[in-house]
Amino acid sequence: MIAAFEYFAPKTVREALSLLAKYKEEAKIIAGGQSMLVVMKQRLLTPEYLIDLKGITDLDYIKYDEGKGLRIGALTIHRAIEKSPVIQKHFGVLSEMEGNLATIQTRNWGTIGGNICHGDPAGDPAPVLIALKAKLKLASSAGERIVEAEEFSKDYLEVALEPNEMLTEIQVPTPPAHTGTAYEKLMVMKGDMSIIGAAVSITLDSKGGCGDARIALSNAASVPLRAKKAEKLLIGKTINNGLLTKAGEVASTEATPPADVHGSIEYRREMVKVFVKRVAQLALERAKAA
Amino acid sequence: MDETFGNYSILGKAIPRVDARAKVTGQAKYAADIEVANMLWGQINRSPYAHARILNIDTSKAEALPGVKAVTTGKDFGGFKWGWSGPTRDEEPLAVEKVRYQYEGVAAVAAVDEDTAQEACDLIEVDYEPLPGVFTPSEAMQEGAPLVHDDRPGNICVEYHWNFGDVDKAFAESYLVREDTFQTPRMAKGYLEPPAVVAYWPDPERIVYIGAKGSPYFPYRILAKCFDLPLSNVRIITPIIGSDFGGTKNDMTPADFSAVMLAKKTGRPVKFVTSQFDALTTDLRRHPMWITVKTGVTKDGILKATSLKAVADGGAYTRISPLTMFLVGTCQTLPYKLPNFKYDAYNYFTNNPSSAAMRGHGLYHSRFAADVQLDMIAEELGLDPVEIRLKNSIENPKPGEIYETVNDVHVATCGVQECIEKVAEAVNWKARKGQKKVEGDTAYGMGFAAATYNSGTKLSAHNACAAIVRVCEDGSVNYLTGATDVGQGSDTIMSAIVAEVLGIRLEDIDLKRVDSAFTPVDPGSYGSRVTVHAGEAATKAAEDAKSQLLEVAAQQFGVKPGDVDIKDKKVFVKSSPERNMAWERLVRIACYETPGKVIIGRGYSTQGISMYGLADFSKGVGDIGTNYSFTAQASEVEVDVETGVVKCTDNNVIAHDCGFPLNTQAVETQVQGGSYHQGISAAVYEEFKMDSGQTLNPNLVDYKRPRAYEAPMTQVIHVITNDPYGPFGAKEASEGSCCSAPPSIVSAIHDATGVWIKDLPAQPEKVFWALKKKREKGQK
Ligand SMILES: Cc1cc2nc3c(=O)[nH]c(=O)nc-3n(C[C@H](O)[C@H](O)[C@H](O)COP(=O)(O)OP(=O)(O)OC[C@H]3O[C@@H](n4cnc5c(N)ncnc54)[C@H](O)[C@@H]3O)c2cc1C
Repeated sequence: MIAAFEYFAPKTVREALSLLAKYKEEAKIIAGGQSMLVVMKQRLLTPEYLIDLKGITDLDYIKYDEGKGLRIGALTIHRAIEKSPVIQKHFGVLSEMEGNLATIQTRNWGTIGGNICHGDPAGDPAPVLIALKAKLKLASSAGERIVEAEEFSKDYLEVALEPNEMLTEIQVPTPPAHTGTAYEKLMVMKGDMSIIGAAVSITLDSKGGCGDARIALSNAASVPLRAKKAEKLLIGKTINNGLLTKAGEVASTEATPPADVHGSIEYRREMVKVFVKRVAQLALERAKAA
Repeated sequence: MDETFGNYSILGKAIPRVDARAKVTGQAKYAADIEVANMLWGQINRSPYAHARILNIDTSKAEALPGVKAVTTGKDFGGFKWGWSGPTRDEEPLAVEKVRYQYEGVAAVAAVDEDTAQEACDLIEVDYEPLPGVFTPSEAMQEGAPLVHDDRPGNICVEYHWNFGDVDKAFAESYLVREDTFQTPRMAKGYLEPPAVVAYWPDPERIVYIGAKGSPYFPYRILAKCFDLPLSNVRIITPIIGSDFGGTKNDMTPADFSAVMLAKKTGRPVKFVTSQFDALTTDLRRHPMWITVKTGVTKDGILKATSLKAVADGGAYTRISPLTMFLVGTCQTLPYKLPNFKYDAYNYFTNNPSSAAMRGHGLYHSRFAADVQLDMIAEELGLDPVEIRLKNSIENPKPGEIYETVNDVHVATCGVQECIEKVAEAVNWKARKGQKKVEGDTAYGMGFAAATYNSGTKLSAHNACAAIVRVCEDGSVNYLTGATDVGQGSDTIMSAIVAEVLGIRLEDIDLKRVDSAFTPVDPGSYGSRVTVHAGEAATKAAEDAKSQLLEVAAQQFGVKPGDVDIKDKKVFVKSSPERNMAWERLVRIACYETPGKVIIGRGYSTQGISMYGLADFSKGVGDIGTNYSFTAQASEVEVDVETGVVKCTDNNVIAHDCGFPLNTQAVETQVQGGSYHQGISAAVYEEFKMDSGQTLNPNLVDYKRPRAYEAPMTQVIHVITNDPYGPFGAKEASEGSCCSAPPSIVSAIHDATGVWIKDLPAQPEKVFWALKKKREKGQK
């Protein structure tokens, strides 16, 4: 049973921000409620005031411009991102990732902003956004600030939001030429939360070597984890199977995954090896084709 | 089979379900949909401990909460205990002295709404003295282990020792003897509709109970005893049931008793709807079991003897465990010839939620173990899995003959050989040998299995089903049955049988679901018994009504009753069919001109009572079934050899001998959904993970059950054997085929990868380590 709360449904960002400024820690935002309602039912959170953002239609958008890149409003639902022709064309990896995020029902309610702000290290969007070097726009009644997607998660279910702040936009830069990005996760059933997942972005230099690489893992630590040592191993080299296997092994040493009913720590470490190798292979193929 | 066999107007074809329209349009009313005036809502207070003594229960704060109308605790039931049979009555409606599993019901509240009832439950203060518990059979069997029931030494719930022939001698004479231990997990039954109930007392002497029960005459008897009322005053009404699969919806829950008790206390209707969390933490589960099979064979792979040992976790209360353990053993002598057989069964009480029947009840565990082991034996002997099965399988007895097993199980029809041959042909089994089986990291494999199941289960209590056919004066028909359709399609079958016998259309039959005030008493929907027994009752009741009408028709045509018949809604003289009249006219004449006949046909089943008597559980002899279904199945899997993820594919064939498929479509969909998908579930996905009595995955995100994405299709082949003991030749459908999926899938995994997964389910991590171990061994 959910504890009693006072409910607000602001229609504008400004209204929402002034409510946040007023109630601060005592208030919680709810967007699609796909995570929030679970947490409230389990009484892990019992906010006095609940601010429902679903009515702020201004934050539901997908905009693309080659120079500025992609802009996604925080209240855009997963399903819209999955189905967006612009995203499918220019950021296919985002659409693919969304296609395996939960069920269609959840994707039709849940928002990309809510997903990121929930701060679940097993979530799918964060590692992909980190691999894509995305930035997040945060707003409060005092003004706006931009943070790197990579800097946003602080700990398990903890993100770099002040009590008076909300996320308004996700900004994804257009990747350099010859870049390929991919994301896959280990699921038992389609749409499962990741047991382990890996997002890899590879940019090839003019000679076909690895000019840049980003590797971000889901459910491999208390936050979405960048496997920097594994990235280093790839950068500046010509990638081959042996190198990818090594990168997987290195990433596996960087991971500190949890144990739960779906897998032990040891198994997850083994799966980091498999998924870094597989996903990097796919990213490489895409970079070559790009 | 005689030539006219199977030539029916309605039966033996694809019959549309009579309940389909109401279900897909949302008009079907389930127990949770029922609202009555002045209704209160109930909630259960549950124990956080898996094993604890109850020192005190203080309900005063709950009672003082505005909106609360009544509170009940176990003491209100005056020491009443219930259970499956006389000697096993070990459970109280709400725990009084001790709780024996986590979330066992301790008290209940009725209030004006659900939230108030829940809030009041939270205000009930229960003082517990936590006790050390036992959480696995191996813990339960230790000397000095804590006792779940103080009067049950050694925590033994059920123990059987059977011995047929001479297994020791047979092992000594065998060319090869293998012993393997297999494991089957704790599983949820898988109904989408959690239990729900509305109960009220129309007057101080009468109960009305409307609940999601697959066997409504269980609460009929139990509630009469519990509240000390004559059966005539207990009215059980059955709404549409959102599936069952054995267990909780046959049995009672704390909410069932509490609803009736709180309704008595308040004088108002009380409703309980079980949450998915409560269903997944407290409802009955399939028994976790450790099955050790020792099998001896000749050099040619002919079975000489099997010694089976089954150790089960029965959970906190006995429930139906004596039957489970009987079923694990009894059909081990089917579908293969087995001249020597020994069985040792041990079922232990533990501080886990109780275990009970689930689709494929009992046979599922032992068939999985023995059929996988048969493939291990085949591999050792260099025999083909199909060949070893064909060699050992029981031949179909000639009409009039009976095959008798070493433990006195009697089989009149057995299509297992035909099933095996047809499946092997359909999947092109021979051609598969030597084919390339790996693509990248994916290895493909195919496995084979055969199985059986008892249908028309008969127990040592009331066994007969009964039926009433009421012909209305305009020619429409009410069919009153005590049987309950839990989703398997029995309402359609019963209606179709009545229409077929009367010679009218399916649409003319209006079936009345159970209302114990009007419908005849019935054992229940379990043990694949409904089609066989209720179907026989339907046939007889329809025949009774028909003969009354034929008498009238004979008078009208001036012939003998034997000279007339009814078909396609026309009654006619057999020798000159042009002399006929419409069904409606015949009925009208019967009701008005004779004058004033009331046409009511009655019938009850006898096959389950008369044939060979009843099984003896302690000795292990005799028939639990009236007849037996047979199945063969070939399953293909793809295994990701790097991650251990196993997927089942569409390349799957099940041949099923259900005697005669009364409704081909129902048999096929039951075999697809209820056998293949449920089999995939058991083989690859489902398991409750536990920690000291606590369920670690009590939700449908962490408890994996395949959905459309993970549920490939299977081809279904009907094998028709026309059994003499079932209505129109029918036997059970699809419980047997539920037992062939897990062994065929495990053998397919072996075919793909070379590893044997002896412990279900084949979840990724388990498969991964097995593959890794094998690779490392190969490198050494
Ligand atoms: C059955 C199921 C399966 C799932 N499977 C997956 C999966 O496979 N992969 C995956 O990544 N996720 C999965 N999820 C999680 C889910 O998709 C996301 O967490 C969800 O989309 C969150 O979005 P929401 O709009 O519902 O957020 P809410 O639940 O409404 O909010 C989540 C959190 O974010 C905060 N919040 C929301 N919007 C903002 C904002 N604009 N600014 C600041 N804070 C905000 C809320 O205060 C709350 O703390 C699953 C969820 C369910 C129920």
